[in-house]
Amino acid sequence: MIWIGDVLVSQGEGAVYRERMLDGARVWDPYRSKLSALYYLGKGIELTPAMRVLYLGAANGTTVSHVADYVEVVYAVEFAPRPMQDLLEVCRRRRNIIPIMADAARPELYAPLVESVDLLYQDVAQPDQAAIVLRNSVFLKPGGIIILMLKTRSVDVRKKPMEVFNDTIDLLTSAGLVMKESEWLAPFHADHAAIICIKPEA
Amino acid sequence: MQSYWFGDIEDRRCTMFAGDTDAIIDRVQSVVTCMDTFIPPDWEQAVLCGACHDRQEYLATLQTVCIAAAERSIRERYSKKDAELLQMVRTLDEIDMVINLLSEKAAEWYLIRHPSFSRKYRRTPSHALVKTMHDKSKGALGKVTGEIGQLGITRTILAKEVSGRANDVMPNTSALIGGLVAARLMSHAGGLLPLSRLPASAIQVLGARTALFSHLKTRSPCPKHGIIFQHRRVHNAPRDIRGKVARVLAGKLAIAARIDYFRGVAEPEFLDTAQRRIDAVGKESGP
Repeated sequence: MIWIGDVLVSQGEGAVYRERMLDGARVWDPYRSKLSALYYLGKGIELTPAMRVLYLGAANGTTVSHVADYVEVVYAVEFAPRPMQDLLEVCRRRRNIIPIMADAARPELYAPLVESVDLLYQDVAQPDQAAIVLRNSVFLKPGGIIILMLKTRSVDVRKKPMEVFNDTIDLLTSAGLVMKESEWLAPFHADHAAIICIKPEA
Repeated sequence: MQSYWFGDIEDRRCTMFAGDTDAIIDRVQSVVTCMDTFIPPDWEQAVLCGACHDRQEYLATLQTVCIAAAERSIRERYSKKDAELLQMVRTLDEIDMVINLLSEKAAEWYLIRHPSFSRKYRRTPSHALVKTMHDKSKGALGKVTGEIGQLGITRTILAKEVSGRANDVMPNTSALIGGLVAARLMSHAGGLLPLSRLPASAIQVLGARTALFSHLKTRSPCPKHGIIFQHRRVHNAPRDIRGKVARVLAGKLAIAARIDYFRGVAEPEFLDTAQRRIDAVGKESGP
C-alpha cells in the first residue's frame, strides 16, 4: 500500500468524488471507506497490480475507484440503480472496473461474466452476509482471500454486535474457510468488523 | 457444459457466441448457470474461442458489454411507472415541510415588526396569514413571504399531478384511500412492488415507525395507524373503533396493492365489496 507520511493514498486519475490530492496521489479517507480504515488500523492485505478482485456492494464506486488504482481488474457488483449510475460514470473513466448490476446473493445470474479472482471483498447491508460470502466463494482461487466488512447492525439490530460477529465467524469456519484475522473498525466506523479469511487450497 | 458470455465450452471445445453487444446481454440474461458444477470463465479460453486476441481485449469487450447491460437494467427499472411517482410524492412532502418551517420563521419575524399582532383567537389559515404578512411587509420579509406563497402554488400543482399519476399507477389503492395517501404509502414502502409484498398489518402502521418500535421495545401501546390515518375514513371514525377501521382498511389496501402491481387496472367488483366492507365497519359502534 502507498503511504505518503501517514496518509494512505492511491495512484490514479483524481477528482472521482472530490477527494483530496496529495503529491498527485488520491487521498483515501478512512472515515469514508471501510477498507481504508482497515489499513489505518494496521491490518488488511497488500493490494498488488496483478490482482483480480470481486467487489460485492460497490455502491457509488468511491472505494472501488481506489481499489482499481492498485489492482488489475475489479468486478463490481451493485444492485440498486441509483448508485449504479454513479458507478458507471467511474467505469467509463477507469477501464479496469467491470460493473455488474445484479443481486450479490444470486451469483448464478452473473456467473458467466466473472473469472477466478484473488480477492473477494464484500460490503453489503444484508442480513445474510455470511451466506453471500459463501455463495460467492466459487469465484475465488484456492488460497484466495476474503475480506468481509461485517455490518453487524444489518444482520440483526437486536443482537449485540459481538454476538453477530461470533456467529458469522462460526458460519464461515464451519463452511471450511480459514480465519486469518479480524478487526473492529472503530473509531472510523461503528459496529463494523472486518473479517479476513482464506479459501484453503483444495 | 459451461456457458460464458463469450461462448460455450464442452469437452474442452469452445463454440464462440457470435453477436453484438445487445445479443451478448440477452445471452447472459438467459443463460442458466448451475453453481454446483460451475467453473469461472478464463480469458485464455476466450482467446482459443476466437472471441478476442489478448487479455486487454477480453477485459475491454467485457466492460463494454457490462456497462451496456447495466445501462439497460437502469433504464428498465426507471421506466416502471412508480419510479417517478415516488420522487414526485417525496418532493411534495418535502415542499410541505419547507413551507411550514419558513412560515413559522416568517411569523416570528413579523411578530417583532408588529408587537401588537397575535395569532390567538384568530382562525386564519396559515396561507392566509402568509398573504397578510406579504401585503404588510417590505424588503426581505416581503420577499420571503412572497416565496412561500409561490411555493404554495407549486405545491398545489404538484399535489394534483401526484394524485393524477397515482390514479393511473395504482388505481385500486387510490380508489380506496385517495391518490395522495396511496402515493405516500407507496413511497414509504419504497415502490409498488415492495408495497404489494407487505402484509396488511405492516401497511396499517406504515409511517408510524417510532411508535411501533417503542411498542416493541417497551410496554407502550401499539400504534393503530400510520399514514392511513390521513384518510378521512380513519380519522373521522369514532375513537373507539378507529383501530378496527384502520385494520380492515389496511387489509383491503394490501389486496388492492397486489391487484395494482400484477394487473394494473381498476377492478370494480373488488372495489365495490371492499368499499362496502370498510363502510360497514365504520358504522358499527364499539370495538
